Amino acid sequence: MNKPEDRSPDSAEFLIHENGPIRLSGKFTLTRADGQPIEIDGDAYLCRCGGSANKPFCDGSHRSVGIKK
Amino acid sequence: MDMDEKNRDYSNDDITVYWRPGKCIHSSVCYTKLIEVFNPIKRPWVNLSGAPTEKIIEIVNECPTEALMWKWNDENKNEHITEADKNHIRIRRPDDYATLDVNTTTPDPVQVKIMKNGPYVIQGSFKVYTENGQIYKTGRFTSLCRCGQSNTMPFCDGMHRKTGFQDE
Repeated sequence: MNKPEDRSPDSAEFLIHENGPIRLSGKFTLTRADGQPIEIDGDAYLCRCGGSANKPFCDGSHRSVGIKK
Repeated sequence: MDMDEKNRDYSNDDITVYWRPGKCIHSSVCYTKLIEVFNPIKRPWVNLSGAPTEKIIEIVNECPTEALMWKWNDENKNEHITEADKNHIRIRRPDDYATLDVNTTTPDPVQVKIMKNGPYVIQGSFKVYTENGQIYKTGRFTSLCRCGQSNTMPFCDGMHRKTGFQDE
């Protein structure tokens, strides 16, 4: 019964950093387009500028790439 | 169907579908007619992005029991349902409709999907907020921009297609 989605809690909070990434806190399973799961436990910073070399995570690229407000 | 015995609710932008496994008599109407939405071997077994809302309503209305019921998320629309909406929760279970809240159902765990060259798609109860605690949106279905170009930040507005966003 340990399917990936069973790990995720019943609600999620997404903190949008101004000109920066999305912070998702807690135990989550993100699913990539190809169905591959990414397990998260704790604080995850998700890329929001499109420029990270470490997607879906932030690598600080937004400082040079910029994010539309 | 071998499913856990918890009531669940599932939502897309338009409707919420209520699943009450204790009422299911395994008529198989739902999955033989709409496997894209009702797939007993998948978890969660209901995927409301699998078909247009009208089609989902049609099939839910064909459930012979109240194992599957539905309602509009827009409460105004629930005031204007017809007899044909056989499994609308207000028709099937007027008492439940009056007292409808999270006590009767367990929301499904939140799912976050990363779309190819597209946004983060969130299904399930969520809150999107700013650094100073201001809430952008709460709800059950949304997509967050991942390309950096949306005009409706932090939400997706489809700009990733126009700008040709490539995620790898």
